[in-house]
Amino acid sequence: MQPMDRRKFLYSAAAVGGGLLLGGCGSDSGTSAGGETEKVSHPPISQEPGTMNILEWQGYEAHGTEAQTYGMLAGKSYTDKFGTDGLKYTYIVNDTQAVNKARQVQFDLLHPCIENLQDYVNGQLVQPWDTSLIPSFKNLNPVLTKKGQVDGQQYFIPWDWGYASILYRTDKVDPEDATGWELFWNEKYKGRIAMWDGAQSNFEVAALYLGFPEMDNMTSDQVEQAKEALIKQKPLNKFYWKSEYSDMQPAFKSGDIWISYSWQDQYVYQSGFGLPVEFMEPSQGKLGWTCGFMLGASTKNYRHAHAYVESFINHKACVDMVNLFYYGNADATIKPSDVKDKSLAKKLNIGDPQALSGSNVNLQSWMPNENEVALAWEEVHAA
Amino acid sequence: MSVSSAPAVHSNGLLGRLHARTGRGWLVLPGIVFLLAVMIVPLVLIGLYSVNLMTNLFGVPTKFSLHYWEDFLPPGSNPFWDRFQSSMLVTLGVSVAAVLAAYPIAYYLAFVARRRRYTLLLLILAPFFTSYLLRVIAWKVILANNGVINSALWQLGLRDHGDGVTWLIYSWFSVALVLFYTWVPFVALPIYVVLENMDTRLLEAAQDLGAGRLKTFFRITLPLSLPGVIAAFVFVLIPTTGEFIAPLLVGGPDSYMFGNTIQGFFSDSPNWNYGAVLAVWLIAIVLVLILVFGRFLSTDLRESRATA
Repeated sequence: MQPMDRRKFLYSAAAVGGGLLLGGCGSDSGTSAGGETEKVSHPPISQEPGTMNILEWQGYEAHGTEAQTYGMLAGKSYTDKFGTDGLKYTYIVNDTQAVNKARQVQFDLLHPCIENLQDYVNGQLVQPWDTSLIPSFKNLNPVLTKKGQVDGQQYFIPWDWGYASILYRTDKVDPEDATGWELFWNEKYKGRIAMWDGAQSNFEVAALYLGFPEMDNMTSDQVEQAKEALIKQKPLNKFYWKSEYSDMQPAFKSGDIWISYSWQDQYVYQSGFGLPVEFMEPSQGKLGWTCGFMLGASTKNYRHAHAYVESFINHKACVDMVNLFYYGNADATIKPSDVKDKSLAKKLNIGDPQALSGSNVNLQSWMPNENEVALAWEEVHAA
Repeated sequence: MSVSSAPAVHSNGLLGRLHARTGRGWLVLPGIVFLLAVMIVPLVLIGLYSVNLMTNLFGVPTKFSLHYWEDFLPPGSNPFWDRFQSSMLVTLGVSVAAVLAAYPIAYYLAFVARRRRYTLLLLILAPFFTSYLLRVIAWKVILANNGVINSALWQLGLRDHGDGVTWLIYSWFSVALVLFYTWVPFVALPIYVVLENMDTRLLEAAQDLGAGRLKTFFRITLPLSLPGVIAAFVFVLIPTTGEFIAPLLVGGPDSYMFGNTIQGFFSDSPNWNYGAVLAVWLIAIVLVLILVFGRFLSTDLRESRATA
């Protein structure tokens, strides 16, 4: 056999390399991080850089930014005044990843969920808000704002809340099977199920399915049992979805999947599209969540960040958000009359200040053994 | 060109001494610095993470430990090892299939297409003017439950409306298909280069001596093109071992590859220490593959040096 000589090899390699370069265009870009020191005083807003890196979920970008394609009003009062050029979004896809990302990149603001509050505070990644700089803070539900305090300081400003449950097609799923989280384990629907690719949520679901008393404080033995249950459930999934909008939503709409872990906005979206769907009331209870804003420990945009949050939590923006996604909102001044679809408002308890305190809701909270759970989830992935 | 044959300029000063000592060797300095910064340093960091001298886990002390290595390495001891084996099987299958499919393309371009060869080559490479991500997503449109293939089956009455072929997407089939599609044009290039540069007088001689077309192919063309075939095989095999995009977009829960496990440890369920162990392992495997296959590519370089 004759070997390939160097010229030929380099010719091939150059051709392949050129192709790779061409093909590589448009790949995902990273996020820059700069080293900054913690502030002790806060200059006036005019002296702040005004360029903020915001760790955010896809779909929640401020009004007027190119990425905001839903027409959400939140953020308008900020972008009207300061423009959109200074806003840079770094996306988060699940709560565990959000904590890790916050450790890796320099950020001014982030929009995490409350269960990881302790991680951010313990890791000194965030600083308390000055609520006097946020006029609409007084309108927020005190039950939720209280949950956002650590040592009496307001580290977390609640904004959105909602439920997570099973979204299913009523024309495909037998009503007798749609009783609780065990639907995910029903072999009858093999290949038509999609769970979320989120470590904590899936272990919570498994804990509820197995009847564990504390879904967020499992013993190592319980984590192991939950892992085995998820491994058993794995072949029934069509896929684990990562993005609500680009993975789950189109697959549900196209009929690839009939049963999915979901938040309530998808119930509204899919039923609005005309699909016969139901958002389950599991016998073990739904999952409840609340997310909000936290302030980066070393932000140079202290006042900009406060103005940004005000542009999200003002009454007008909150009403718009509720009518857009049918999520709950921490704004306690929202009345059922503000909600366009009254039956949806009733079904989803929008406007009810005790909506997350009911016995049929399992409010997601901090997992002390989150590293163990995250590793176990990767074992489920690989199994 | 040898070092001693470099022209003797800049004989004075630091630059002159450097030049006298290294010839034009200093020209590689920017490249070396760049490689050190973007490749060697990250590799060292990954190595440090793999033995717990660095960690991203909050509250975990950094101290030399082989804990994750001990957990991963015994074959069959954990699901990550199984995932590695299944991924390598898929990678090998895709590489072999891509080479088998690309050979006729390369052959056609080299011996049959003649003046149209560069136009055809451009057409083959045309999809690569768009992003890899978009090309994979385009496959979702084709393979989805209400995608092009299932819709065609419904229209033709071959299946009931709404009853799509479920294994078309989110399966090993879709992952392998997308990888195969991605790599075939790349694989065709090195084979084409070898075939194009082949001494066609050998083929004529074989035919003059009475060999038929098939015999000429198997006795002359194929053996002479094997270096290109191996280069092509390596071009697919090495990058595909770490693939994670295609399984992420068109794979199901059972068709994730080893690259997805590494990606998961670095992003979704962050445990950089375990992820680093898997990454170092994959790098080691790739190095072994390069060493094994590299000898087929570099033999005549050594020969040409020896005769220089």
